[in-house]
Amino acid sequence: MTPLLEIRNLSFAYEGSAALVFDRLNVTVQEGEFILVKGPSGAGKSTLLRLICRLNKPQGGSILFQGSDITSIAPAKLRSVVSYVAQIPQMIDATVEENLLMPFSFAINAAKPRPGKEELHEMLRKFYLGEVTLDQSAMKLSIGQKQRLAIMRALLQEPLLLLLDEPTSALDQESASMVFSIMERLNTDDRKTLITVTHIDFKPETVTPLTYTLAHRSLHLNESDH
Amino acid sequence: MNQIINISTGQLLLALVFILIAQASSFIYHLGLNRDITIGTIRTFAQLFLMGYVLTFILKTSNSFLVLSVFMVMVVSAMFIIKGRVKEKQIPYIIPTFLTMLVSYLATAIFVSGLIVGITPWWEPRYFIPAGGMVIGNSMSALAISLERLFRDMRQQKELVEMKLSLGANYREASLDIFRNAVSAGMIPSINAMMGVGLVFIPGMMSGQILAGTDPLIAIRYQIVVMLMLVGSTAVSSVAVMLFVRRRCFGSGEEVLLTPL
Repeated sequence: MTPLLEIRNLSFAYEGSAALVFDRLNVTVQEGEFILVKGPSGAGKSTLLRLICRLNKPQGGSILFQGSDITSIAPAKLRSVVSYVAQIPQMIDATVEENLLMPFSFAINAAKPRPGKEELHEMLRKFYLGEVTLDQSAMKLSIGQKQRLAIMRALLQEPLLLLLDEPTSALDQESASMVFSIMERLNTDDRKTLITVTHIDFKPETVTPLTYTLAHRSLHLNESDH
Repeated sequence: MNQIINISTGQLLLALVFILIAQASSFIYHLGLNRDITIGTIRTFAQLFLMGYVLTFILKTSNSFLVLSVFMVMVVSAMFIIKGRVKEKQIPYIIPTFLTMLVSYLATAIFVSGLIVGITPWWEPRYFIPAGGMVIGNSMSALAISLERLFRDMRQQKELVEMKLSLGANYREASLDIFRNAVSAGMIPSINAMMGVGLVFIPGMMSGQILAGTDPLIAIRYQIVVMLMLVGSTAVSSVAVMLFVRRRCFGSGEEVLLTPL
């Protein structure tokens, strides 16, 4: 079976730097897997996710999505199925509803069915955002609420792979627990494939993620966690 | 009334009183502008005298190659002035900007002298060079403002642009607001000039024509053409340059290439 994602001999260095962040990194992700990538700050965890959705460009190696090299897929097409949520959630200065429906204003998602208000309300509740109304300003939400809204927005375009970059790093304990719980549910109930990078020790209750550690410019599977 | 009063060298030097006033203001209030005022004054004299001699020669010889060469020098000079104002090192914007300026300014100047004024040949230096000069001078400032705004906003709003890219936007959709703001920032001065013309100020070209003895009713017709020409050429060159340069802010994977300074 063709893996959902395959990274082969990936090498990367930041512009103007000779030091490699990744040196011939390899990893395979199957559909439905929940991948946790751990590692110290500065190891390149965020960069790895950014390379998968082409927000950065590698110096060598290849990344295959459903067997196709990602450089052969139109960037907008790739990012509509491989959705990346940044560490600091970004909102446009508009209502919650306008923020949630933003992906549908882009040509690549224009043909996808837009969720109605009822569906959005239902999803808000599932994301522990029941108190948030669709017509309120997204800019006035707390960082924890924005983070959950950002994950929800990414999911509305039905991606096949969700990349979450330190989704709890800026959150308090309560908000972080909510996000962890959402991630678990996305994998168990909705069969979403997730790659989450985090430096927090996250022990899910209902799912056993494949945990990798990013060190020495490569990914290492933590056998002891399984 | 139609007799033109020449300004003698002595009278010209008398005008330096204004510079002395400016220098004194800078000196008394420590504005730090004395050096720039001096250089600016010398350049004004040198460049305009040089232009005067060149124009006299060109008007006498009436050679299309010479006229277009002067036009080319004006565009190249404008490009250098833009390069001096827009301090951008990461994105190679010079060549697309220069080529767009050259094509759009040439098209505007030909349209004005050849079609609107209807002069034959279209490169008649008495019309083509002043028209070209006004288009280049005006659009140059607009382009510098637009480019500065484009690069600044792309850097400041990089996370927002990447958020849109991550949600399936193509580079055009992700940077649409930045593009719009950059183009309108460059165009606003020309539009504002249309609002104030004739009420707040009398434009230089019209003043010059009136001083030289032209009927004010003819001078205003020329000035109207000039104002419309400036707005049009600014719009065309700003939009075209922003379209080309914006693409260069993104890589082959439509990733944002600008990094914080």
